Amino acid sequence: MVPVTITGMTIVFMVIRLGPIDPAAAIVGLNNPEGIARIREQLGLTQPLWQQYIEFMVDLLTFDLGQSWVIARGTPAYELILIYAPRTIWLGIWSVLIAIVIGIPLGFYAGLNPNTGGDYFASFGGIIWRAMPNFWLAIILVAVLSQSQELFGFSWESWIVETNIVTPPDLSFFSEPMGLLTNTSAWTNGLIGALKAVAPAALVLGSASMGNEMRIGRTAVLETINSNYVETARAKGVPERAIVWKHVFRNALIPLVPIITGEAFLLIGGSVVVEVVFAINGLGYLFYTAIQNADLPLVGSITFIFILVLVATNVLQDFLYTLIDPRIGYE
Amino acid sequence: MSSDTTGTDHGPVDRDLADGTSRTGANDRSGQTVLSVSDLRTAFFTEKETVRAVDGSSFDVRAGETVGIVGESGSGKSVTARSIMGLVDSPGQVLEGSSIRFKGEELTELSQKEYRRIRGGRIAMVFQDPLTSLNPVYTVGNQIKEALRLHQDLRGSEATEVAVDLLESVSIPDARRRLTEYPHQFSGGMRQRAVIAMALACEPDLLICDEPTTALDVTIQAQILELLGDIQDERDLAIVFITHDMGVIAEIADRVNVMYAGEIVESAPVEELFANPRHPYTRGLLESIPGRHPDEEQLRTIEGDVPTPNEPATYCRFAPRCPKAFEDCTAVHPVSVSVNETAEDHTASCLLYPEDQSREDAVETHRARGDAAEVTAGASTDSSTGASAESSADTDPERSGSPDSKAAGTGEDRREGSR
Repeated sequence: MVPVTITGMTIVFMVIRLGPIDPAAAIVGLNNPEGIARIREQLGLTQPLWQQYIEFMVDLLTFDLGQSWVIARGTPAYELILIYAPRTIWLGIWSVLIAIVIGIPLGFYAGLNPNTGGDYFASFGGIIWRAMPNFWLAIILVAVLSQSQELFGFSWESWIVETNIVTPPDLSFFSEPMGLLTNTSAWTNGLIGALKAVAPAALVLGSASMGNEMRIGRTAVLETINSNYVETARAKGVPERAIVWKHVFRNALIPLVPIITGEAFLLIGGSVVVEVVFAINGLGYLFYTAIQNADLPLVGSITFIFILVLVATNVLQDFLYTLIDPRIGYE
Repeated sequence: MSSDTTGTDHGPVDRDLADGTSRTGANDRSGQTVLSVSDLRTAFFTEKETVRAVDGSSFDVRAGETVGIVGESGSGKSVTARSIMGLVDSPGQVLEGSSIRFKGEELTELSQKEYRRIRGGRIAMVFQDPLTSLNPVYTVGNQIKEALRLHQDLRGSEATEVAVDLLESVSIPDARRRLTEYPHQFSGGMRQRAVIAMALACEPDLLICDEPTTALDVTIQAQILELLGDIQDERDLAIVFITHDMGVIAEIADRVNVMYAGEIVESAPVEELFANPRHPYTRGLLESIPGRHPDEEQLRTIEGDVPTPNEPATYCRFAPRCPKAFEDCTAVHPVSVSVNETAEDHTASCLLYPEDQSREDAVETHRARGDAAEVTAGASTDSSTGASAESSADTDPERSGSPDSKAAGTGEDRREGSR
């Protein structure tokens, strides 16, 4: 864990400091060599590289994330991340959930009914979902939804609650959880609106994972259902339904655990493209603008957060393993 | 002994009597018949061909008796076991006319739901590989108690007590703690004991063991065989024991059925079979046991492979590999007959027998019975007569050409005849 974090941060440091990014030029403009030199001095970019490296690492590891240099000069990076993160988390949760809730059951269904029409439909669908690149699917979805009135005779924008297609979800309802009791209808409207705003983006972001989980789930079920212990259970007289629920599913979930947690990594990276297309100004969007504007402390901080999330999902994955598979345990 | 003399003995033989006595005599010999399989045919229908994995095998199992089924890989041993358990998966199918009677109940007519009551409750099965036949994510106790809950409606501490007793009865020490452990915490031999305990959970009348010792090393193998023997004595259990290991068969079986390409080619009590093997295939099997001929450099083998039985038999399936094959072997399908008048309990499906008839008479016997009905080993019980009459109607038209195509010898001609 710790070595992974340190190695990751070192690579990030090398990429942003040794690369062509020059924050000073971004701040004062290329035509002002004096200004550039002055700003460099101020920001400490003239110090020896090893000194910069140590400062960078110590700051991050003590969670001193520094201040933004360019985007919002003087604002602590920590504050910026807090502002942008909830929307990314909201999007991430739903895209992971869509993949799990649709992909795995479809895969299990296909695995239990191999070589039937339903199986072919699900398997083929899985391949298609997997094959569609996010940026393409996102644009197509925006195009289709914005013309839903003409295409399907139903308007996505005014369906249930009024939302824009390309919009950040309004998560303000979360800040007042008591609203559920005191002002129920407005609160649930807020929730539905936030869900609806994020749904197309979540579908796009979850599409590849959904296809993946479907395919892996199908294979896992097929493998398990032909295993000897399932045969033994049958010979014991266990009804088919109990065989599926008790003996097949839990074993079939084992190979799915790393797939699901692996997808969680992808969702962080993938969210940059999707957030930009759907104008959900979350972490991915912030990261993207930070790189464009050479806002080094912000870039460093966000990658640091990404690395922490990665390490955390790895830990979560190991923990899930121990829950599902008794053969794996801590010594 | 040499079979060259078998054809010269001209004894007046009443065919029906010879068959009849072989079964009645056996019935008197020991306990009540638990399982009676007759004319069992299980085929797998694939796009390419129909594989007749079990093609007309018949045998009985009595209480307290161990019936061994031996044969090479692909001879239909496991499919026989699965057919009895009703566990033949698609595209496999137990064909019409097959009869599996268990304690007077016809299993082939049961619905899936009724079958589940029998499965695990009254007929239990132990599989080949103990390392994979327990579910890795549940405790051993959980899996034993699952059977108890299904068939005896035992739950909670009551079930735990029974499970502890079961593990103790298969000689697993510290049973109470072992119940809470997972299969990976058991050694191979221990796991097979646990699987046996699970199979015994509901006090079945019949235990089917499909190569239960093949995956174990020799010392553990001996322990498991001993355990099975003890359990059998205690509970008067009938056991069907499937293996390809002649040594194991000699140790555990009371009666042996030798299977070849889906058919039972010889059936005899174990001592008789080892002392006096009659079918050339059985002889070949026994000859090929390592150590039988210590002075020879090379192990004796049976040349060739087991053919895939993908068409109804109209000839002896062993003929291409048989050292004693003669012309008629490729034209007449041998049926199960007593090897001679005096051997009451010893049948073989080979044109060389009954050995007290002339070869011409013997061949005629086989041909006549093969044409009249698809009669197979031990088909003298009442239950099977109806079944075999039915199946003969199906197979007769296909078979009608076979007696004419006598001139044969090559595989090509044989196939001609069978069409």
